[in-house]
Amino acid sequence: MLGLKFPPINELIRWRDIFTNFNKVGVIAVAAALIGIAVFLIAGSRDPLKAPTGVRNLAETGVNFIENDIVMQTMGKDGLRWTPFLLSLFVFIYLCNLPGILPVLQMPATARMAIPLFLALFVWVIYNAVGIRHNGIKYFTLMVWPPGVPVAMRPLVGLIEFLSNIILRPFSLAVRLFANMLAGHMLLITFAFLTNALFFAETKQFALKPMSILPFFMLVFLTAFEVLVGFLQAYIFTILTAVFINAAQHPEH
Amino acid sequence: MSRFILHIDGAVVLVPQTSGDAETVVEDKGPSPIAPEIKELAWGAGAFIVLFALMRIWLFPRLKKGMDARYGKIRGDHESADATRAAANAEVAEYEAEIATVKAQAAARIEAARGVLEAERTAALAEVNGRIAIRRTESNAASEAARAAAAEHVQAAVADVSSRAAELATGHKPQAAAVSGIVASLMAGGHK
Repeated sequence: MLGLKFPPINELIRWRDIFTNFNKVGVIAVAAALIGIAVFLIAGSRDPLKAPTGVRNLAETGVNFIENDIVMQTMGKDGLRWTPFLLSLFVFIYLCNLPGILPVLQMPATARMAIPLFLALFVWVIYNAVGIRHNGIKYFTLMVWPPGVPVAMRPLVGLIEFLSNIILRPFSLAVRLFANMLAGHMLLITFAFLTNALFFAETKQFALKPMSILPFFMLVFLTAFEVLVGFLQAYIFTILTAVFINAAQHPEH
Repeated sequence: MSRFILHIDGAVVLVPQTSGDAETVVEDKGPSPIAPEIKELAWGAGAFIVLFALMRIWLFPRLKKGMDARYGKIRGDHESADATRAAANAEVAEYEAEIATVKAQAAARIEAARGVLEAERTAALAEVNGRIAIRRTESNAASEAARAAAAEHVQAAVADVSSRAAELATGHKPQAAAVSGIVASLMAGGHK
């Protein structure tokens, strides 16, 4: 008999505590924050008047990316004051995604619901606070009843807009990141298990062993693909945050 | 032939088709995999808030200040380079204007010198031509006189010969004046 028992999903994504209430996801989250802080700390200590190289170049590239490709594209020049927040968000999410392809760690912290949920709720609080600060209590009426909506349509549009802005946005923001990273993680695990199972199969059908190259190639391809996915998901989360904040400042649009 | 069956609803079983006892589905009885864990949420939240706070208060302003300083320096250097280039261009224009003035002055001087030389050459040429004309007139007169003298000598000789020939033929010496007149008229007609 040739058989592979795939471990229960909870064994793959739930981690034992290293010490009280601190598991691998906590390690990755703390490491992401520390690496982000270290990169910008080192970058800030370099001579700013010289052409940036190494860590400073990396940090400045990140700042320029957030400013030019996210803030200016969604919020305009007025949104530049949000760069530190959006930069923190992007750096943290990307560094939480990256361990999914790093040996030993091999687990994106965002493949667990906790971090995407917290970040989505944080963004939700921020953009609603910004909306109230800019528009006062009219923020909610402008949000659910944009100008020009016929009176007869107001109940339906109001319900849709309320659900969209207050409930679905944070939910979709969290689930998009979580589901993409979990799916990628599960794909990598599946092909790794298949490769292992075929290569070490105890069978008289020797043709099975060379076939392990097929899932192995897929594993390599998906690992490279996850680099892109990790970056893309961080970018999508950040740019949607910028869009939501900008929309909260101008809810009538 | 082997057949592989994967069940991702909690378990995966890989079995050969030949084995009849294979499909085993292991139930996962843990908590929902999509349920957030409070400890993970707390660590994630804490880590992000620390990163954001430091980024907002200290890290980003410091980096951005440095970037702005460098961009300002680069902008200043650019402006300085533009000013230097403009000054250099002005100096080049001034130099070229001076060169043009000097060239114009040199051309005027050359033109004036050429005019003087031309006048001197024309005067010298006229003088030489005058002298040549005088000498040619003198030569022509001399050659005309020599030719007239030669003609007279020839006429006299012809007249003598003709008188002698007529004297021998007729026995009478013809009048010298008549012979000379006839010879002169014949020579004048012969020339024609």
